[in-house]
Amino acid sequence: MLCTPHEHQLSRRRLLGYGAAGTLGLGGLGGLVQPSFAKQLKKDQKQVLFIWIDGGMSQLESWDPKPSSQFGGPFRTIPTSIPGIHVSELMPKTSQLMHMLAVDRGVHTQDNSHSAGVPRINRGDPKDRGVIYPYFGSAVAKLIGPGDSGLPPYVWVKPGSGGFKFTDAGFLGPQYGALAIGEGQAPPNLLRHPSVTVAHDDVRNGLRELADERFARNRLALARDAQKFVFDTARTLMRRRELFDDPDPKDVARYGDTPLGRDMLIGRKMLEAGVTFVKVNSYGWDTHGDNFNGHASLMPRFDQAFSAVMKDLDERSMLDNVLVIAMSEFGRTPRINGHVGRDHWPEAWSIAMAGRGIKRGIVIGKTNDLGTFVDSEEHDIGHFFHTWFHALGINAGETEYDNNGQPLPIAHDDCGPITELLA
Amino acid sequence: MSQNKRTITRALLAIIGLMLASPLCAEKPLHKQIDQLIAAGTDHGFARPADDATFLRRVYLDLVGDIPSSTEARSFLESKDRNKRAALVDTLLADPRYGRNMAERVHLMLMERRGANEHWSKFLEQSFLENKPWDKLVQSILDPSTNEEVTNGSNFFLTKRLEKYGQNPTDFPGLAADIGRMFLGVDLKCAQCHDHLFIDDYKQADFQGMYAFALNTFVRSDTDFPAIGERVMKAPLEYQSVFGGDPQETGPRVFRGQEVEVATFEKGEELEPKADPDSKAPGVPKFSPLRILAQQLPTDQNRFFARNCANRLWYLMLGHGIIYPLDMDHSGNPPSHPELLDLLADQLISHQFDIQWLLREIALTETYQRGGLLPKDAAPLQPAEYRTFKQKGLSAEQLCWSMLRATGELQRVSDDEDDATGLAAVRAKFMAAYANPPREAELEFSPAVRAALFLLNDETIVQWTTAREGNLAEKLTGMTDNSAVAEELYLAVFSRFPTTDESATVSEHLEQSETRDVAVSQLLWALLASAEFATNH
Amino acid sequence: MIADLTPEQLKARYEPKPAKVAAIQRQLHAAQFTPPGTRLIGGGYDSLVRLWDITAEEPVEVATSDSHQGWVQGLALHPTEQLAYTADSFGRLQCLGYADDKLELKWQMDDAHDGWIRSLAINKDASTLVSVGRDKTVRNWNPADGTLRSTRSVEGADLYQCAFHPDGKRFASGDAHGSVKLWSVDQLAALGECDASELFSVVRLQDVGGVHTLLFSLDGKQLYVGGTRPKNGGNVQGEPLLLVFDLETKQLVETIELGPASDVYVQHIQEHVDGFLIAATSGNPNQGKLHLLRRGDKEPFSTTTNLSNCHHISIHSSGDRLAITTTSPGSNGNGRPLKDGNYVGNHSRVQLLAFPQPEADSE
Repeated sequence: MLCTPHEHQLSRRRLLGYGAAGTLGLGGLGGLVQPSFAKQLKKDQKQVLFIWIDGGMSQLESWDPKPSSQFGGPFRTIPTSIPGIHVSELMPKTSQLMHMLAVDRGVHTQDNSHSAGVPRINRGDPKDRGVIYPYFGSAVAKLIGPGDSGLPPYVWVKPGSGGFKFTDAGFLGPQYGALAIGEGQAPPNLLRHPSVTVAHDDVRNGLRELADERFARNRLALARDAQKFVFDTARTLMRRRELFDDPDPKDVARYGDTPLGRDMLIGRKMLEAGVTFVKVNSYGWDTHGDNFNGHASLMPRFDQAFSAVMKDLDERSMLDNVLVIAMSEFGRTPRINGHVGRDHWPEAWSIAMAGRGIKRGIVIGKTNDLGTFVDSEEHDIGHFFHTWFHALGINAGETEYDNNGQPLPIAHDDCGPITELLA
Repeated sequence: MSQNKRTITRALLAIIGLMLASPLCAEKPLHKQIDQLIAAGTDHGFARPADDATFLRRVYLDLVGDIPSSTEARSFLESKDRNKRAALVDTLLADPRYGRNMAERVHLMLMERRGANEHWSKFLEQSFLENKPWDKLVQSILDPSTNEEVTNGSNFFLTKRLEKYGQNPTDFPGLAADIGRMFLGVDLKCAQCHDHLFIDDYKQADFQGMYAFALNTFVRSDTDFPAIGERVMKAPLEYQSVFGGDPQETGPRVFRGQEVEVATFEKGEELEPKADPDSKAPGVPKFSPLRILAQQLPTDQNRFFARNCANRLWYLMLGHGIIYPLDMDHSGNPPSHPELLDLLADQLISHQFDIQWLLREIALTETYQRGGLLPKDAAPLQPAEYRTFKQKGLSAEQLCWSMLRATGELQRVSDDEDDATGLAAVRAKFMAAYANPPREAELEFSPAVRAALFLLNDETIVQWTTAREGNLAEKLTGMTDNSAVAEELYLAVFSRFPTTDESATVSEHLEQSETRDVAVSQLLWALLASAEFATNH
Repeated sequence: MIADLTPEQLKARYEPKPAKVAAIQRQLHAAQFTPPGTRLIGGGYDSLVRLWDITAEEPVEVATSDSHQGWVQGLALHPTEQLAYTADSFGRLQCLGYADDKLELKWQMDDAHDGWIRSLAINKDASTLVSVGRDKTVRNWNPADGTLRSTRSVEGADLYQCAFHPDGKRFASGDAHGSVKLWSVDQLAALGECDASELFSVVRLQDVGGVHTLLFSLDGKQLYVGGTRPKNGGNVQGEPLLLVFDLETKQLVETIELGPASDVYVQHIQEHVDGFLIAATSGNPNQGKLHLLRRGDKEPFSTTTNLSNCHHISIHSSGDRLAITTTSPGSNGNGRPLKDGNYVGNHSRVQLLAFPQPEADSE
């Protein structure tokens, strides 16, 4: 595997032998930003729903169609609830909710490969400082914290395997990784064993905590603290196991009985339960071949799940608290290849968002008539990180991480927030 | 101690060291020399020595990967033999579980949870049982020849790394880098495309020289054990820095060693023996970089090899490397105790890389036998000073053996592969709960939420902590004397006697509870799930 | 008789050789010989219908019609008169006259379907034109004036293909999920179903595969259904499959795998009067194959490669020539370097292939 220059794998400090990540145990706690600032953040309920459409949704078959043009493809457009704005006919439900959304059609990012592009986008394309930056979810988990839910701050709802995925956390350390819920399944051993009553469980954990307290006397606290953390988190998850109950069939019908529909519904439940950052993944969008038939079946399923969750969040008045983002790692080429597909296109694509701190019912940014390049001001992922942090009440220009003494910006140094998107 | 004083002390010690090394002098045992150097490494106070119980459990876990039975614990603690600790070390080194434990620990270190293989495990276990020297062990791992039945499977270190995972192509560069990391203590991964950006010692030429050993390898498909084959290397490896500069080339070259010239042959004459279409055995190149690697890398001439061996064996016992991270041996990351590392490396060489010998010496040091409590001196603790014994984690394997023994379930668990409650199934559960995902090293104590859920709710743990025939829970339930229960419980699980408070807690709990067996299982579970059990302290 | 020839003899007799190439600027769905055989007519991604004169050494575009929108995918030619029926992905259906090297609009139906009209078919006596589309309807039109005679909503998925039985009284539709239904022209009555669901799979969130081509045998006894056996979604891969159904029993009688998974689709199939099938398989950019397969055989007797993304076959009325619509090689790539500052799209080439001249012996 070739060295990827923009993503060197080791922290400079580790390379030089200082503070191995995991000094005496917990895997790099990393300093808090100014402590008083962190306390203030914890008072308001700030949440994020991050919908990751993996593989590259085609902007030409969704947010920024160019009907009946050289590269426009076969589909028509439909009007939306924003006068003058049209989207692809493949997203009729979302078209009626555009007044809740803000879409930027002027996105231009740097990477056109999945393996490099996905991490780079998720990390906000930070400058290379010899550290592995955290994904957006881990960053928010760190900067905002878990709130009062007792649940982990970062939950990832996805197809495939579940478990505790700490690679997202980068230099922040494993406790800012994601609790992944794979195929809608609860983590293994989540349900209390039938022979263990609540009372029995409380008693034995009380004895355990007593033993740990005694053990910690006159010792470094780290081992006891780490053990306490994992048991507290585990027991909190157990108390919230109703989050993993079978869904109401009516909800399933509304969201669509598809992997994305079911996962989006779990995502909403996690947000209702107070999880700070919920990432919902949809895979399979990389339509290098048969892009149009592909999107003809993919888009309606996204449309159904996305519009359902937006409606539900709105009805529950949660859009004041929850920042919603829907995006991929890039868009798709205007040029249609021989497989009747579209390839990767970071040059001109779209990102949609809504909710906390974001203006409602606007479309900014413009691509040219062919959809090949951005015609207006271009926005890179760094701009979006600034914007999203701002929407969450964090000034990315002033806030820094403290990585064992190394100060690191939370968003790209050379970018600022996109004010037109902010409420 | 002031800077000057420390320099003088070091100089004195260096002189002493020289004197000791000289054959004219009656040599102090290595373990005493180690302690002197550790003592000289800090001005601050050390923790008190570990008590017998702490030492007992610690050395059992480190050498045999298991805890003592309550009988063994009681017997050791009550023994008045002044030499009992040294005797225990010798007993454990001779225990068949030593071979199994070292195989598991070295497998974990070298394979980083990439996967298991029965031939590889057997090769490792056998090697440690017969105390194969480290250089011969590494030689077997790197050498592509497969004539010895006892070493068949030794190539797993190489073959597993040639397996593709995810969407990635075969990771030849990763294989080259890992040979350097595991056997030389140098991580050259970031010097593939250019000289290392931060570490001046690691050059692109260094990486490329190592890469030349790896990039023509393939996994043989004609054997039922992991075996490595090589394609013909026809020319030196060409490379160029991404930052410009002239194109370069190199033949295979062990890090800091001499470049080997690529021997070329007439087309059709490169293989000896040739490929056998009947057995499907691939031909063996006459110019075999791997065979050269196996001859040149693990030798006493190779300073990095010797340092790395010493460093890693030290890490296995102390939980920290004299060079740390373990794969960062370069002048910008000096050893915490340079003379110590040199001493260990030299001694290893003069003892022909005898692993048991070095482990024994380390086990006999005060450093290893230091207590795990905080020293009186309140200066902040740096692990590299060894002022207190570092709290280490237990691997999934160690936890499994220890819990089986602690709960008295070891004799019940069957060897039947298909038995859902048998040993294989149980070990698999422990791996799922405690082992890292592939390619993530397990170096420090990092408990996971899934492990907590496992202890809280898994069927196996519930069964083990419930009274049933022959297990500890049943035994304790049947005992009437509550202070005897406390003693047996703590000896079985923590390998020590309970304190007065702990004994009182046990008695109170048993007296207050309505159902004795439930109370016992609560007490037992609490200790198994505690930080004390989860750590090697 | 073709049945008596060995594969080597078949190959020598029929393996086509490249004749001319008409390079078109924009991507075409299909280019078809007109019945007299002196012109090619085709529609594509840029909403235009084009007419080429192919009599000279270099094909010449002689007329275009821009009265469509979106993709012009549906194309059917009147068997005898100089009339072409075209349909686009916005739902418009048209009749164009192409006499005198002009494309003249004869009639036009907006909203003939709600959205994408995928396929058109006309029967031998030109009494009926049928269309199928993404709106899951099958429609019967009067080709003379474009009046809609009847509509049938079809249970199931988007309709991809339609084809007429030689008797002109019934036709088949094939959809995105591999369901093939038989209909009578009269009343659009359902006549039965063939299960080609092997051509379909749901992968993650995506419906993959479907009926890519549909053809009744010339003798009217069998139905050929072509597509892929999907291996994955996204960048679709899968073995190109040709399924053969017996029309009486509606049962699958043969499954022919025409290549490895990297060949992907059977895009189009036609039958030559001499008794062999011509199948175009392609998928991945830059590759495409033309197979000639005698009816009843399992293996093609001739395979022409290097027909980059061939996806449509037109047999000349004389039976001695083929027009294969392909896509320019080098059509794919993430990002794309600009050419002289311009972003360049792909184009189609219509490869004209000629069968060898037959020996002057009796057959």
